[in-house]
Amino acid sequence: MAMYSKRKKTFELITQLVRKQLNYKFSRFLFLFERWRKEFYRMSWGDIGYWCITVTWCYLVLSSNSIWADTSFSNVIDDVQPKIVKIYGAGGFRGLEPYQSGFLISSQGHIVTAWSYVLDTDELTVTLNNGHRFDAQILGSDPRTEIALLKIEGSDFPCFDLEKTVEVDTGSRILAFSNIFGVATGDESASVLHGCIAARSALAARRGAFVLPYKGPAYILDAMTNNPGAAGGALTDRQGQLAGVLGKELRDAANNTWLNYAIPINELRGAIDDIRTGKIIPRHMDADIKKPKFPTTIEHLGISLVPDILTKTPPFIDKIGIGSLAELAGLRTDDLILYVDEHMVQSCKEFVRELELIDKDDKITLTVRRDQELVTAELQAKSVSPATPQSD
Amino acid sequence: MLRANLLAMGFSVLVPSMIFAQSIIQLEEKAYQDSVARMMPSVVRIETFGGTERIGRTLASSGPTSGLVVSEDGYVISSSFNFVRKPSSILVIFSNGEKAAAEIVARDHSRMLTLLKVNTEQKLVVPRAISRGEIEVGQWAIAVGRTFDRAGPNVSIGIVSAVNRIWSKAVQTDAKISPSNYGGPLLDIQGRVIGVLVPLSPQGRGEVAGAEWYDSGIGFAIPLEDIFKQLDELKSGKDLYPGILGVVLEGNNLYNGFAKIAACHPNGPATKAGLKKNDTIIQIDQTPIIRQAQLKHVLGSKYADEQVQLVVRRDNTTFETEVLLTDELDPFEHPFLGVLPVRTLHDQKGVVIRYVYPDSPADHAGLQKGDQLVLFSGEEIIDAESLRKSIAAIEDRENVDLVFERSGQMQNVKLSLGVLPTLIPDVLPVEEIPAWNGREQPDTGVVEIKLPESPSHCFAYIPENYNPQNPAGVVVWFHAPGGFDQEKLIDRWKDSCTARNLILLAPQSQDPSRWQRTEVEFSQKALNQLISRYKVDSTRIVAHGYQAGAAMAYLLGFAHRELVRGIAAVDATIPRLSRPPDNDPFQRLAIYTTVASQSPLEPLINQGIQLLRTMKYPVTVVDQGTSARYLADNEFEEFLRWVDSLDRL
Repeated sequence: MAMYSKRKKTFELITQLVRKQLNYKFSRFLFLFERWRKEFYRMSWGDIGYWCITVTWCYLVLSSNSIWADTSFSNVIDDVQPKIVKIYGAGGFRGLEPYQSGFLISSQGHIVTAWSYVLDTDELTVTLNNGHRFDAQILGSDPRTEIALLKIEGSDFPCFDLEKTVEVDTGSRILAFSNIFGVATGDESASVLHGCIAARSALAARRGAFVLPYKGPAYILDAMTNNPGAAGGALTDRQGQLAGVLGKELRDAANNTWLNYAIPINELRGAIDDIRTGKIIPRHMDADIKKPKFPTTIEHLGISLVPDILTKTPPFIDKIGIGSLAELAGLRTDDLILYVDEHMVQSCKEFVRELELIDKDDKITLTVRRDQELVTAELQAKSVSPATPQSD
Repeated sequence: MLRANLLAMGFSVLVPSMIFAQSIIQLEEKAYQDSVARMMPSVVRIETFGGTERIGRTLASSGPTSGLVVSEDGYVISSSFNFVRKPSSILVIFSNGEKAAAEIVARDHSRMLTLLKVNTEQKLVVPRAISRGEIEVGQWAIAVGRTFDRAGPNVSIGIVSAVNRIWSKAVQTDAKISPSNYGGPLLDIQGRVIGVLVPLSPQGRGEVAGAEWYDSGIGFAIPLEDIFKQLDELKSGKDLYPGILGVVLEGNNLYNGFAKIAACHPNGPATKAGLKKNDTIIQIDQTPIIRQAQLKHVLGSKYADEQVQLVVRRDNTTFETEVLLTDELDPFEHPFLGVLPVRTLHDQKGVVIRYVYPDSPADHAGLQKGDQLVLFSGEEIIDAESLRKSIAAIEDRENVDLVFERSGQMQNVKLSLGVLPTLIPDVLPVEEIPAWNGREQPDTGVVEIKLPESPSHCFAYIPENYNPQNPAGVVVWFHAPGGFDQEKLIDRWKDSCTARNLILLAPQSQDPSRWQRTEVEFSQKALNQLISRYKVDSTRIVAHGYQAGAAMAYLLGFAHRELVRGIAAVDATIPRLSRPPDNDPFQRLAIYTTVASQSPLEPLINQGIQLLRTMKYPVTVVDQGTSARYLADNEFEEFLRWVDSLDRL
């Protein structure tokens, strides 16, 4: 009881002081306010106090977009920039710029970057976001994904946590951090590009279309990262979590357009770990595409194509062997082969090449055009020896 | 009690907002993804097989492209860029994985779209279109294609940069538009379609024009609302072409001038509707016209065989008329009177005849050297230039009234105009040029033409007897590969220039072994500089070249109709991939070319001559016999006579 009355007294003292001040300055206003308070709302000063506190709190919290919702881009960027590094090495001729980008993945100074001609030097330097320069050593590289791991001496570097990476979907907003065009030097921060994921696509979807050894899935970006200096930069989602590594300057051979792409971080995890732990596992260049030991052939299927006299002869079927797999599947002379499984073939040569990647005993689905119709034929291998093509 | 209420209210607002509040960044991302997901059933992937590899200078892509469903009974629209290779097989793949064969039904040549009919049983989902009036500059625009991943879309996000571009045909966006999404839709953030993406260029024509601007921050989409309007016509298999009115407007000043007609194309829609020279178009359909650009904007979205309502002002009355637009105009053939005017400037009005072409309408009407032409078809003749314009704009070629003065007496004659001759007069008297008695002596002899922004060299030879009172003709000489010897060149041309009052302009190629197409611009700038420094007769500017140099002459002539009046090519063809522009009534172009039976270029030269003749250009062909070479002396004299006669009426 005593405590309560002490508090009450203090509170009343404070309100009295406030009232005196208000009275002193805004007596008329106070008079009106008092009348409003007493007559209409029957509020006590305590009530008003609580009300003010509640409203103020709501306002402050909502205006900062709440505690758990996302923070604005500028906060995210401030958080990510210290992890981005600028790399300088070999180059300096037109078209071969002597710089690129990278990012830290450990506090001891491990840096992920793109494996390129820039690293081909004894004097490789790395400049951090704060301008500090280090000599870098190449720990190793992975020819399949074309990334390399560098190491600088030191500790307590701000870095990405490889345990906290994300995968992003088409249409997700992304930020790309890199030193495009070498614009940033010294303690200037790397350049940030904003965009979204245009598509997730296997770069091997059209075989032979790219001159890239990496044929796994990639993010196609809706941001102009196809520029000198971008390779090795970091791709993050809108909250600054690592999603991928920016790729090199590349032209899409099917479309004939420049391609902006990044390699998803999940594809690189294995390679990064191996290099860090010093394990050197020779990675086959065509690891994604395993050529079978006994591939199928057109003779095996019983198909004979028209003579391949043009540069790109359309693969029309000329003859079907009697009793052959092709005949049993329902194929006929003059069918135009369009797809082998899901892969488009535009010429006789392409068709033969596609067959080289399929095992003799596997089932093949051929989609052909017969007049204006599309026909699907399934060819299943059997142990019977194939018949030689004879006239229909 | 109240206190508790207030607190409860406060927390009930606060806590959910803390848990569920999303930043605008996150909300927008979700909106993009939802909008695209809603649209997916209507976007298809198109794969083509077979066809040519290269179209012009653009390498035609062989990869998959995108299309948009426009009708539930199996019609899909796509960009004409995707079919420029004329593929033999077209396959459409829907979002549910179904594959179907498709064939081209019709093309829209004005908006660069192609309509396909797909051989499918399923009922297709037609997307919603946003109406043109609702599109706001600055709103989100999402470009969707289906060329990367088979199962999913590829997306690019930008804004609407402008509306009513390319003469009101397209909406402009800064999303990345490239072959990866040509043919696909441009969406707003609510999942409605703004338009179909196509490559377009305000200057170029053809299916691949504009494709070089891919991913550059500028891309175009044809509003879907407009496509739906034309859908029935396209479905019936009818190809659509841009509608042409068939008038030449006065002044060539798009943004300042009234839409006053300088000439109506004979047999064109305007002539058939009764429009005449000097009429002013003041309204088209519901749009009042104050500037010529407004007329172009309305006509830009019209097709051939469409009717337009025109309100026209003639003298002090206005009347309404309906015009049926056409897709192609007959090539314009210049009418010809048959005389050469005296060039020396004099105070009297009218045109004094210096030479009458034998067997021409003037000859048949009895006109003679020395006659002064005063009235042409009721119009006063001020000088040779105004007579040239009147002849070009004449509506009735068959009955022309001519009033002339001979030895003080006015005479009247009726004649019907012929066509420009291709034969060169055998004898053409050299014109007398009086000496210049002015104070300032202009620079003559060899003069350097220097352009500040270009390292290339160019020089001009001004004849000694040049004087500003007698404008000189210009021959722009493009040397054959290998460069040239300045001394020898001047020696060759010196006397001719003096005799025929010609200035020789000789640009030099940067690489002595070949010319580059980009050097046409440099030559044009050098020519303009020459014109600003010296008095030049605009009717006698000729681009001349030998072998590869002649290709440059053709390019300069075709690209700059406002400057060049004649192209003289010795042993050369029209450059590959260069199509001559349509003949223009007010910007005449005459062609002079040589042919030699044993030259390897002979069939191509003849092909070019045929093409130019069908386009109604006056082509003078000089047979050099068996071997191709530069002009012999007598041929050179004849060529100079040709240049001299270019101001014929």
